[in-house]
Amino acid sequence: MSVPASTPALEVRGLVKHYPGVTALDGVDLVVRQHEVLGLVGENGAGKSTLLKALVGLVVPDAGEIRVRGEAVKLRSVVDAADHGIGMVFQEQSLVPNLTAAENILLGGEGPGVRRGVYRWDAMRRLAQEQLDKIGSNIDPLVRTDALSFADRQMVEIAKVLRIEQRSQHPPVIVLDEPTSVLEAKEIETLFAQIRRLREFASVVFVSHRLDEVLEVCDRVAVLRNGQSVGELAAAGAVPRELHRMMIGSTGSDDHYHENAAAVVESERPRLTVRGLSGTSFQDVDLDVAAGEIVAIVGVHGSGREDVCRALFGAEPVTAGEIRMDGKKINISGTRAACAAGIGYVPAERKTEGMVGPMSVAENMTLAKQRSRCAGPFVAPGKQAAVVDRWIDRLCIRTPGRDTPIQRLSGGNQQKVVLARWLVDGDIRLLLLDHPTRGLDIGARSEVYRLMRELAASGVATVLLADSLEEAIGMADRILVMNDGRVVSEVACPAGGKPSPLDLVKEMV
Amino acid sequence: MFAVLSPRFRSIENVQNMVDAAAVLAVVTCGITFVLLMGSIDLSAAGVMGASALTVSLLVANNRNDNDLGLLGIGVAVLLGCAFGCLSGLALVLLKVPSFMATLGVSAAGLGVATLMFAGVQPNVSDAMLKGWAIERFLGLSYLTWIAATCILVGWLLQRYTRLGRYAFAIGGAEEVLALSGVRVKPYKVAVFAVAGAFYGLAGVMVTSQLGAGLVQAGSGYDFSAITAAVVGGTLLTGGRGGVLHSAVGVLLVVVLTNGLVQIGVSPYWQGGVEGLIVVAAVAAAVIPQRRRNQVVK
Amino acid sequence: MSTPVALKPAAEAATGDGGPRLGRRLTGFMPLIALLALVVALAIADPGFLTQRSLTAVARTAAPLIVLAAAATLIVLCGGIDLSIAAVASLSTVLLALWLPHLGGLATPAVILAAASIGAVQGVAHVLLRIPSFIVTLGGMSILSAVALVVSGAGTVRVVDDSTVKWLELYVGGYVPMSFVMALVVVALIALALRLTPLRSWISATGYSESAARLAGTPVDLVKIGAFVVSGAGAGFAAIMLVSRQFSGGPTMADNLLLPAVAAIVVGGTAITGGHGSVWRSLAGALVVTLLRVGLPIVGVPSAYEQILYGVIIVIAVTLTLDWSKVSIIK
Repeated sequence: MSVPASTPALEVRGLVKHYPGVTALDGVDLVVRQHEVLGLVGENGAGKSTLLKALVGLVVPDAGEIRVRGEAVKLRSVVDAADHGIGMVFQEQSLVPNLTAAENILLGGEGPGVRRGVYRWDAMRRLAQEQLDKIGSNIDPLVRTDALSFADRQMVEIAKVLRIEQRSQHPPVIVLDEPTSVLEAKEIETLFAQIRRLREFASVVFVSHRLDEVLEVCDRVAVLRNGQSVGELAAAGAVPRELHRMMIGSTGSDDHYHENAAAVVESERPRLTVRGLSGTSFQDVDLDVAAGEIVAIVGVHGSGREDVCRALFGAEPVTAGEIRMDGKKINISGTRAACAAGIGYVPAERKTEGMVGPMSVAENMTLAKQRSRCAGPFVAPGKQAAVVDRWIDRLCIRTPGRDTPIQRLSGGNQQKVVLARWLVDGDIRLLLLDHPTRGLDIGARSEVYRLMRELAASGVATVLLADSLEEAIGMADRILVMNDGRVVSEVACPAGGKPSPLDLVKEMV
Repeated sequence: MFAVLSPRFRSIENVQNMVDAAAVLAVVTCGITFVLLMGSIDLSAAGVMGASALTVSLLVANNRNDNDLGLLGIGVAVLLGCAFGCLSGLALVLLKVPSFMATLGVSAAGLGVATLMFAGVQPNVSDAMLKGWAIERFLGLSYLTWIAATCILVGWLLQRYTRLGRYAFAIGGAEEVLALSGVRVKPYKVAVFAVAGAFYGLAGVMVTSQLGAGLVQAGSGYDFSAITAAVVGGTLLTGGRGGVLHSAVGVLLVVVLTNGLVQIGVSPYWQGGVEGLIVVAAVAAAVIPQRRRNQVVK
Repeated sequence: MSTPVALKPAAEAATGDGGPRLGRRLTGFMPLIALLALVVALAIADPGFLTQRSLTAVARTAAPLIVLAAAATLIVLCGGIDLSIAAVASLSTVLLALWLPHLGGLATPAVILAAASIGAVQGVAHVLLRIPSFIVTLGGMSILSAVALVVSGAGTVRVVDDSTVKWLELYVGGYVPMSFVMALVVVALIALALRLTPLRSWISATGYSESAARLAGTPVDLVKIGAFVVSGAGAGFAAIMLVSRQFSGGPTMADNLLLPAVAAIVVGGTAITGGHGSVWRSLAGALVVTLLRVGLPIVGVPSAYEQILYGVIIVIAVTLTLDWSKVSIIK
């Protein structure tokens, strides 16, 4: 069975995937040619991870087709994908830490390494060594995986993925999801040499946030935005700027971010003052937020910004530093203390951390602030109903009633309930918003933005971890850039004088 | 330390006693170690051992019926343990009942089966071979001890050289990775519980040999002692670390500790208390490095 | 917050994430249906069953189990488990029998207080040391049994003067055992405390999603410790009922109540994964379990089947009530 060299190794046509309340893939097209390294870029939420999962059978698309060497296939599991010669190196490394490298490489397909359930360690070692030789690695196959360095483990992963060669007689397609995010510069060089070597006998899909890397190692780059393919370009001669413009696109409507509603920042009244805050993944962070101000913190995965946010809410340990609210030093020993200090937090993982799915809208809304529902130690049902109904009305939360389980609402309405949780008592002073628009559609996003503006106008200070750079620039009065656990720069971001995303990207990587 | 505090502790008889006492516990611990390696827990040892003790005492020569199956009877008892283990495993993978609940239920069922077979009259064993296990000695140690040593060896081979053992280890390390690699995890989980059950079955037989009679309470206390021994030996309750040899060392430590305490005059009733403290302390010590504020502990 | 916040309605409809699972809906009525079916079946099997005498006996037998199960339900609602309740109860019977001659009427509150503090210690160990609840309470069970054996000298402690606990053996209106009434009072008090205060939401939130509850500022740790305290106190109260009936305390007296109590909780329909359930359900569950216990001999089944039945019931009931969405990997 021979396949003409011009037939793409992998082709995706009109792939669609809906999740409740959000469309992750909205008709994606993608072509991976034989023996090429294809870069895949897009902002958070552009649909990259869903697309990759569809390629290896972890997500079954609602519509569209995947063709392997010209033949339409249905991928229902990782094994299915492997049988068609598609394998993936996962972002969070997927090795069993307490097994040897050889076992990990051969896991699930030991072949002659295991006869009648009994291990032949010599054969295991030999088989694993063959795989490691393909990528020119000199790791000892019988060493335990958790004793290896990050870079070595990645080599083991690649060796493991290459095993799919045995399952299909065609050159494999290897997907690398953010392989460089935890590597040192030198290790990245080794990895790139590896990718170039892979190209000799395979096709590679390379996903990364670091655009310069993508351009360096790839032949061609495809760009995703909002679940759609928005274009591609040849890597040779291209500059990150072009890619970035494609990733961001033009700002939708002019007033998406309601800039005209931006609050007047009373900078002489610092609401939150943080000095020298250090924790497990961040060091020496200084942060000031004035009443009515929205400060965005941007940074790549691993910059530590999420942990800073959680530390301010007492959900992450702090080793040093001082936090002042309205000039008064406070000690945030836990989430309760943070609530008492008038701090509210909207977590990024709405479904698991933001809300309690089976509980009602009313209960979710009043979980944090008991004053709005209680008289003394007792629940006052009338009081609770009145408060909840008022906020359902004010925020236009679309729900059949206040007693409906929150999990039956759409994502946007769920998020509004989570936000309302901090507003019901009217004593909120600082809001920490961790990806407040993640997974929301454009209409719901716009409503959340408007709400943020109105809260700022009423004097609430806001720290925003935006879903995208565009969002950070659109919403913030000031932007802090974090890199590797430290604040590396601060950019003023007033209406009418917004910085360009590229300036920020430079600082982030 | 105990050797200093009590001269009797040092005597040869006492060492022999300790090693013999460790035999049954060692076999139970061997079985439970595989379950713990997966990150599950097994509370069914007491029930399974009771059922197997009654089974074997009714199948070999005894005062209740005319059976005299000898080794075959022992084999049936071990198989029965295996079957109970299967039940726990199936409840875990098919019905998704957490292992501590499933095995608690299976333990109750085992005790029930044992009570049914007991039927109010204690079956005394007259089979010479089975009784001989506890009495006759080879190189100064009872046959039971040699059986236990063999079990440890078998357990170690299982753990080192078979897919079952290695996958039990891997399930405790990163179960989701196995699934991503296309390994069907469920059959292995059931098999591990079945193997553990077989070990308990054998332990039930050994207790019967020691007592010379089949008792419903043959296994009482062994479930928790075995967990203690495994934990003391360095097997983590979260799975993925430890092993049969670790557990064997743990068994010796626990036996020496409890025997030593008795020798220096501490009431034997404290044994359970000491074990309880050890388990809680060992688990607490193991979670210290990964203690984070917002981690969920059920 | 004076600015009126007015937004245009979202262009999105409420998406149905599906109603409660079928099993959930079924288990909502399961305990009541099972209870009725059992009563009917027993009445048919033994026409003498529906007499005041035997019903009174059932109520008396059920009382300690109800208290034990209802109190431990709070821990299950928080997503944990308490395997030490029976051991705490056993120890409490010993303590009561030992303290009655010295403390007299004060012995009862003293025992409940002691049992509650044992619960508190276990709760603190669970929360602060971050040890899973079933391990803490499994260890606790072992430790407390040892303590009970040692302080009692491994024997039954007779109660000579039971005047201060005798009131539990009275009959309200001549028919209803006082212990049963007290059990109902305990259940009602716990249920009221949950219903009238935010505790109910706090416990549910902790059970359904501990991290979400914590990030909403719910006092998760205190709630959990509180649940352990109530569970301990319940075990202490159950012990008093046992002593009043048997005129003695024993180091293993209540040990055989662990399985029935766990069975009562899960048969009632409280999910072992936390969040879903109530103390009323455990009351129904405890009655079901007691009827089974009393009923087996009536229909001619040897009582040895009781244990097997508990095992089967626990496994099946846990499966039916499990929140499957939450348990992708079960250990």
